[in-house]
Amino acid sequence: MKLFLKFDFTRTCTQVIEDAFTNLGMEFRHLSFGEIELLDQVSREQLSAIDTKLGAYGIEIIENQKVILVQKLKDAIIDMVFNEDTTVNVKSSVYLSEKLGHSYGYLSNLFSEVTYTSIENFIILQKIEYTKSLIAKTEMTLTEIAFKLNYSSVAHLSTQFKNTTGITPTAFQRIIAKRRKMANNPI
Amino acid sequence: MKGIKLQKLYNSERFLKIIFGLGLFIVLCMGGLAYKYVRELSESFRLVQHTYEVHVELEKLLSLLKDAESGKRGYIISKDSTFLKPLLTNRVALDESLDQLQTLMDENPQQQQNVKDLRLKIDKSLAIFDTTLALADRGKIESMEFKSAFQEGRRVMNSVRFQMIDMTAQENQVLKKRREASSESLSSAPLSVYYVLIFCLAILLLTYVQISKNLKTLRQKNEQLETFKESSTQSAMVSKHGNWIWHEDDNRFEFSDSLYRLLGEEPESFVPTYDNFLEFVHPADRDRLTEQMDAMYVKKELPYIHYRIRQKNGHIKHFKAYAKLLVDMEGHARLLGTTADVTDEKENYRMLEEKNAELEKNNKELASFNYVASHDLQEPLRKIQTFISRLEDKDMGNLSGSSRMYLDRIKTASERMRSLIDDLLQYSRTNTSDQAMEMSDVNDLLDAAKQDLAEVIMEKTATITSDAFPKMKVIPFQIKQLFLNLISNSLKYSKEDTAPVIKIGYATAKAKHLKTLKSSKYRSYHIITLEDNGIGFDQQYVDQIFELFNRLHGKSEYSGTGIGLSICKKIVENHNGEITAQGNLGQGATFTVYLPIR
Amino acid sequence: MQDDFTYIALADDDEDDRLFFTEAFEELKLKTKVDTFIDGVALMKALRDADTFIPNILFLDLNMPKKSGLDCLKEIKRNHKFRDMAVAIYSTSASEEDIENTFVNGANIYIKKPNDFKTLKKVLLDVVTINWQYHTNGLNRDNFLLRL
Repeated sequence: MKLFLKFDFTRTCTQVIEDAFTNLGMEFRHLSFGEIELLDQVSREQLSAIDTKLGAYGIEIIENQKVILVQKLKDAIIDMVFNEDTTVNVKSSVYLSEKLGHSYGYLSNLFSEVTYTSIENFIILQKIEYTKSLIAKTEMTLTEIAFKLNYSSVAHLSTQFKNTTGITPTAFQRIIAKRRKMANNPI
Repeated sequence: MKGIKLQKLYNSERFLKIIFGLGLFIVLCMGGLAYKYVRELSESFRLVQHTYEVHVELEKLLSLLKDAESGKRGYIISKDSTFLKPLLTNRVALDESLDQLQTLMDENPQQQQNVKDLRLKIDKSLAIFDTTLALADRGKIESMEFKSAFQEGRRVMNSVRFQMIDMTAQENQVLKKRREASSESLSSAPLSVYYVLIFCLAILLLTYVQISKNLKTLRQKNEQLETFKESSTQSAMVSKHGNWIWHEDDNRFEFSDSLYRLLGEEPESFVPTYDNFLEFVHPADRDRLTEQMDAMYVKKELPYIHYRIRQKNGHIKHFKAYAKLLVDMEGHARLLGTTADVTDEKENYRMLEEKNAELEKNNKELASFNYVASHDLQEPLRKIQTFISRLEDKDMGNLSGSSRMYLDRIKTASERMRSLIDDLLQYSRTNTSDQAMEMSDVNDLLDAAKQDLAEVIMEKTATITSDAFPKMKVIPFQIKQLFLNLISNSLKYSKEDTAPVIKIGYATAKAKHLKTLKSSKYRSYHIITLEDNGIGFDQQYVDQIFELFNRLHGKSEYSGTGIGLSICKKIVENHNGEITAQGNLGQGATFTVYLPIR
Repeated sequence: MQDDFTYIALADDDEDDRLFFTEAFEELKLKTKVDTFIDGVALMKALRDADTFIPNILFLDLNMPKKSGLDCLKEIKRNHKFRDMAVAIYSTSASEEDIENTFVNGANIYIKKPNDFKTLKKVLLDVVTINWQYHTNGLNRDNFLLRL
């Protein structure tokens, strides 16, 4: 027997989603089409569960996935910068695309879309932040820090530092030292 | 040196004492020796005398006996009783003589025994005399008794004679021995006395030489002292100093004439005691001064002290005093003090301080005026420029061609004003030389300057090479500014079609080798050279380029305010250094900065 | 960009500067709420009074009458309530030492007031962006130092 159907896709999807979340026992609220607000805090596993469930219906969690991936990407970058074991010679693009299983181009675009900044800038930002914390917390010299972070020279580190923050690493050192002194002798 | 000489003098005093003592001792010894010799001599004489007397006595004895004998014989022959007279007297004389011999032979036991024997023999002889005489008297001369007695008598006489001869011989022997002995010592006596005399004379001579030398030195020293004293008095008068001495052992003061004069008094116008001096001291300073003087008595030193005095004519003067301990060779301690009238210095100093304070105040006012002016001028300028940019963004389309052109000119003029103010502000900031000099890594400062100019450097594809710089004691911000201005200068005045190449060199040199330095207060200098391949300049303008607002080009040719190099000059002067330049028109310029090494 | 708006405050006694500031943000079209104060006293009063009003970024002019930007800065830094607030000194040119001094006293950002509007917009955009990056990446605010 043939049946002719007319679809109200909006209603269909909405219902599917409703059923799915009720099934998972999560509170939610429709914001607009394609936009759900979860009222509770969800863990990664739960998100994963949602993803799986909705995935069965062919519904992809776009934003979350992106955010997760970007988060993974960020974590990978941070790991690369802060972890000493990471091999020096591997290009960051190669390393990241291998680690995350996507082409570097895709990752790059995604990253920029979500964070409004490029991967390169983010890497530089992380390196400079690490430099700052090393300067503030340890007695390492700039040469040692440059070496640790795989800069070709101290000058390279200084240049990048100045370009990012607007001040030189030595000035930063000075300021941190003076701040510390002030904190110890509040007059 | 004088000390050592005096020491020597002192030692030679001792030396002299020793010499004299020695001489005296030798003379006494000599006296003793002479006495000894004289005694020996007189002894020897006495011995001779003694022997002579013995001789005489023995002869006497013998003659007496002979007389007795001959008298007896005479009587016997002549039966004249007058021959018997001497017999009687002789007997007494014989005894006397024998006694005398006995005494003479006192010292010689052997001879004494001889004398006793002699006495016995003589007695025997005399007895025989009597016997023979008696016999003769009875007329029995021819008898056997008489003959035997006579012969006995002769025999005894002979033995007496022999005894006497023996005694004489003995005596002679003794004399001979003694004479031999004394002659031995006596023969050497005169020679040894002679030698000792020579020795004594030599010592005396030496002593004389030494004494006269000492006297000479003393005289010289005295003369020097006199001259010194004279010049010292003069200098004390000229420099308004007074000297005083405090003797520790009798707590006594001595004031020099100049000290009295410092107080406005005639020399020796009062007894030099502390209390009298205190009369002149300003009442407010008396207690403090007394305290310090009391400390001086105990510590035996007086570090620099200051106090005021008031002369009898009412003038107040400032005094500065100092004293040092001097202990002489006998252990007497003296404090040698100097007091100076420093009223003039104090006055000058006060005036100087006043003038300095005034100058500083003026400078500060000027500097803050500079700064405030430049700083506050920036605000309205910035507004003008921002509003111009707003106009450009929003309403450019609405403006007519001429309005647009006017706006553009306004923009250019305000940009020029901005760079002028920026440079002036920079200039006024370099004014503050109360910034601290610290040991800085000059390489970092150069890098920072290059960083600031990174864009321009890249734009002009410039190459900058530099020597390594050591750490220098400088004002870091200013040296960075120096590099910044010099490099940006070279970049600005580069040749149009040539990429700028800038070489920055470092060297050091001693001031004496640097003839170009105008003043060399320091011993050695850092030398920083900056060489470029730009358009250069005519060397005759070398002094001008460092002047404020002075430019060798019009503003349309090259931008700039003409302050950059004068800021460089100011910075270098803040560091007590010098800057000069060497220009080759069309080829380039070299700037040389000299900074003292501290 | 961010889901919440960025709360921005400016204390500047100059009327024109306040105008430039608000116009720039208007043209940037970011999710921002901008409040301006005519001097340090007004600012501190607002900061002290309402518990809700804590800007994400505070722009402080240095030369203000009655209470200078530096005094406000010191007072703010003493108060734990403002730990997460980024403070930007927004001033006409100052000497290197003065600039460093503001950092030493706790400023996060130093901005020299630009001469033209376009630059001003870019600078403000940079500040907001970088501040957001600090916020989203949980970076150490103590080391947040930026000079534009």
